[in-house]
Order: sequence, then C-alpha cells, then structure tokens
Amino acid sequence: MSAAAVKSAVSPAACAPGTPLYGEVVEFLYHEADLLDTYRFGEWLELFAADVRYDMPVRTNQFRAAGEGFQEMAFFDETFVSLKTRVKRLETEFAWAETPPSRTRHFVSNVLVAPGERAGELAVRLNFMITRTRADHGYQMFTGRREDVLRRVGGGFKIAQRRIFGDQTVLTNTNLSVLF
Amino acid sequence: MSLAATRSDAQNSFTRLANGEDLATIVRPEEGLISRRIFADPEVYALELERIFARAWFFLGHESEIPNPGDAITRVCGIDPVILVRDDDGVVRAFLNSCRHRGMRVCRTDRGNLRFFRCPYHGWSYRNNGELLAASCENHYGEGELDKGKLGLIPVAQLGSYRGLYFATWDKNAPSLEEWLGDMRWYMDIIFARTGELEFVGVPQVWDAECSWKFATDNFTDNFHVFWSHQSLVQIGLLPDFPDFAAHGHMVTAGNGHILHFVQGAPGDETAMGLGLPKSMWQCFQQHLNPAQAEIAMNHGYSAGTMWPNFHWLQLTTAADIETKPMGILNLRLEYPLSPTRTRMYSWFAIDKAAPADYRKASYENYVRNFGPGGIFDQDDMENWEECTAAAVGPAAKRYTLHHRMGLNRKPDPSWKGPGIGYPDSYGEMTQRAWYGEWLRWMTKPLATGGAPR
Repeated sequence: MSAAAVKSAVSPAACAPGTPLYGEVVEFLYHEADLLDTYRFGEWLELFAADVRYDMPVRTNQFRAAGEGFQEMAFFDETFVSLKTRVKRLETEFAWAETPPSRTRHFVSNVLVAPGERAGELAVRLNFMITRTRADHGYQMFTGRREDVLRRVGGGFKIAQRRIFGDQTVLTNTNLSVLF
Repeated sequence: MSLAATRSDAQNSFTRLANGEDLATIVRPEEGLISRRIFADPEVYALELERIFARAWFFLGHESEIPNPGDAITRVCGIDPVILVRDDDGVVRAFLNSCRHRGMRVCRTDRGNLRFFRCPYHGWSYRNNGELLAASCENHYGEGELDKGKLGLIPVAQLGSYRGLYFATWDKNAPSLEEWLGDMRWYMDIIFARTGELEFVGVPQVWDAECSWKFATDNFTDNFHVFWSHQSLVQIGLLPDFPDFAAHGHMVTAGNGHILHFVQGAPGDETAMGLGLPKSMWQCFQQHLNPAQAEIAMNHGYSAGTMWPNFHWLQLTTAADIETKPMGILNLRLEYPLSPTRTRMYSWFAIDKAAPADYRKASYENYVRNFGPGGIFDQDDMENWEECTAAAVGPAAKRYTLHHRMGLNRKPDPSWKGPGIGYPDSYGEMTQRAWYGEWLRWMTKPLATGGAPR
C-alpha cells in the first residue's frame, strides 16, 4: 500500500493539544508507562499490534551535515513474537539482569500527535526518559526521542510502530534489560 | 614454557605489590587459583596498562568497515584512541587520534569518509595518510622551529592484518602479527574464511559496564555457565533443558594465550552443525578450508575464541525468538578497561559475503535479539561481571582466590586434528588457565627488554 494513498481521516486540528483525541493519546502513553513501572509486562505486551515494528537504531557521532548519526545496526529490532519472548523471559525467575528487578520510572513528554500515514493511525513523537535503579547502585538514565504509530482498534489503540532514537552513542548503562 | 617455570622466573622479578605480595604467588594458573586481588585493584591495573595495554597486539577493525579510500573509524589500540583509516592511495594506516601540537583529538566522528583530519584547537591539518599538511600561523615560526616533515600523526608501532582483521601494537619490538597469532590462525581460518570473505555489518554496538575487563574476557570460552546464567532461555525453550548440552566438544589452547572451543549440539541435535550456516553453504568449507578444518566446521554448531588478550569470536547457533528455529550467528567482541572497575565493550555482527539474503536477514535478527546490550543472552552476563567485580573490591575478598580448577588433570585428546592442545569435554577451565598464564607472563616480564614475554 502506498503510504500517501490512504491518508488518515484525522485532521491535524483534531489531534492538537487540548483536544479529546490528544488527551486520549497522552492517557494511553501514561497507562503504558504505569504498566512497565509496576512490572505488568503481560498487559504491556497486549498494547502492541501483531504486526508491530519496534526498533532502536545505533547512533554514532557525526558532523551535523551527516544527519543524526543513526546507522545500520540496532540495539533492538523486534517483532511481536520477539517482544513476547522478552516478556516470557522476564517472567521466569532466572532473568538475572532483572532478578531481583530494577526499579524503573518511565517518563514521556513533549508529545506531538499528527495524523498517521494510514487510515486509523496516529503518528506520535515524544521525548522519553527512563530512570533505573538496581540493587544498591545509583541512578541510570536513558533518554531520547520516540516515534510511535498508534492504530485505532475498537475503543482504544494498539502500538503499530515504535522507533526509539536514543541520545547516547555509547550506552553507559550496563545493558538494556528494562523494557522501552 | 610451562606455567610452573614461569612462576620461578617471576619470583625473582620485579612483580612485588605494595603489600609485599608477589603476583606470581597470588596468581597460580597451574593450580587453577587466581587471586581476587587482580580484578579490581588500582595497583594491578596500573601495571596492566604499562605491561599489557602498551605492548600487546589489539584488534582495531575489519577491512569491510573501511572499504573505500578516505574511510576512517575511531577505535582504541590498547586503551589509547586511534584512527583506523584507508588513505587516498588505499593504504590502511592507524594513528594515535591526537594532534602533535597540544594533543587534541583530531578525528571527532566515529565513522566517515575524510580526506583530512583537522584539529579544532589551532587548526593543524593532516592528510589521511598522517602527514602534517598545514600548521597554523606558520609565518610566526622562526627558522628550525616547525619541522612539518617530522610532525605527522603518531602511527602505531606495528599494524598487521589477518583474514581482513586489522590488529596493531604500540611496541616496535613485538613479534610480527603472524608470529604472535601463530597456531591461532588455523582456527581463525575456520571462523573468518570458511566460505570466503566476511563482512562486518553496519557499526558496532558500544557500551560500558561497571566491571573488571577480566571478568568479561574470562567468560567467553566458558561453556558451562550457559545452562545456568542463561537459564531464563532454558525455561522458555530457547536452550536445551539439559545441563550437559554444551559439553560435547573440545577446549583448545593454541599458544600465546590464544584459546578457543568447538562444541557440538546435544546428541541428536542436527541444527548445531555446519556452524549453524544454511546447508547450501556447507560445500564452501571444502573449497576454502583444508580437510581437517572443514571437518571441524561441519561437525560443530558453537565456537568461541579469544585472541589474547581481549578480542573474541562467538559463533553460535541460537533462535531469534520462541517461534523461530535455531541458526548461526557470528558475533565479534572486544572489551577494554576504562578503570579497574569499568569496561567498554564493542560488539559486531558479521556475515559471510556468500550468505543468501534470507539467511543474512534472519541471522542479523537472531544476533540483535540475543547479543549486545539489548540481547537476552548478553544482559545476564553483564549482571554477573558487575557483581563479581563489586565483590572483588574489598580488602578481605582480595585475600582469597577464585576457583578455576575444572579439568586440571584432564588429558589432551590425541585424536584432535588441530594445532595446539585439544582437550576432550567442552566443560572445563583449561582455556581460562591458559589465558591467566599468559597474563602472568606479560605482567612479570621487565619492560626494558620489549617484545612478547618469551
């Protein structure tokens, strides 16, 4: 399907800050963050569409003319089944990187909602910050931009795309064992 | 040289630590007893920097990362920052990434195509072959004050390549790369030349963990941690529910501290064959390897190797998720210390240039989901390395040894067809003991003599 062929029926004005649709998107994002921070990973997985594309490309230092520096290679490149694999793993007692679990706080802000490229979808850009404390160690932090596509399904949304554009070229935080 | 002989030499040497202990007394590879003191101790770390990181051969990058003239990547040689660059004439070179004037870093992107390296501080500019093209304010230098011909970027002492892998050393007296790798080349062929050439795909993942670099190196040829450290993957069906599943193979010490293993699948597991590559590629083994090498490639699904001290291959057969069949991945790893208790890791994904497109894609997905900082394998290893390090900092812990005695009395397998020493049963700590033996040799060799400690 050509992306331009089927434009969302949603108008830009209908999803601007202050509109009911914008509020619904933000509430959805807050709900998702709450599920992650309270270890309800199975419920979190249910927020994703079966055909979701979920990735986090690797960033490098580049001159500005070369763009943001995202290159061929990723920290995450996931499907619904591989996300399910991660969740199933975390639900065992043996995922040592998260056993005992880290404490996380998922923050989302700077949310911009626009009509998606396909009917019934919204393009959501936002900034994220995830803090993690683990064992008796100090804070670790992950920040960046996220580009989600939310698809209208029934009375709610499913996440049809999540692209995570992290700020760090060298991750200074041991691993990515927490969910993004 | 036997490990025991190394000890008696070392006891007469200069290896006494500030508290009166001798390195060769507290590190006893021949007994499988390694002091916890060496892992997080600032004094030992300072000695490592001079005796190992300023002298040994280190992996910088693969030729496929810099295919065109002007292609440059920034890496480290030991712990010193370097530029690996293919110059305008196609010659691969490596330089300290530091201006000759005030020492400012001159290449400030991780990867690019650059004709010049221009220092931001005063504008000194270098060609990509290292020559100083222009200093700044040259009209203010008097006669004899600026000899541009002698002020090119500082090259590494030696740069060498094998099977597309570039290594360098800061020691002009070091043995040649070929001599240093020695018998390890025979095994590197199986990994890096089994179907022709390899390509390192994209860029490496780079990340830091709060651990001693040696806990990372120690882990790579350790087969029997897999069942328990990665037990979560056993639980969800990604690894066999059979504690001995990675015990069917050989551990090999290949000289100069180079170590490796080749492991077959569990009995009846036909996926762990041919290095996990698709069957259509197995015929390449006969073409590119000698018969003994080809037989090893055919009959094994897992292999890890360490080119001493800190560059590793992981050739594994794993599944990308709970609905996908196991297949091969080739992962290359490097780790170097930022401090006694902090380590930077590089992880690359590589693929055979001869691989069909569908396998290339599937192997990549398999890699990225299992390995690197986001990988469901790797995550748990880093948890181990960090906690082992944290527990090695205290003065009481440092009085005690770690235990590396599995297979201490195991006899070599005379039927093993490769060079070096092949031990039967791939659960054993023969490889780690050889690694620490080499570490001890480097740490107890006086610096003035130069060259590898033989």
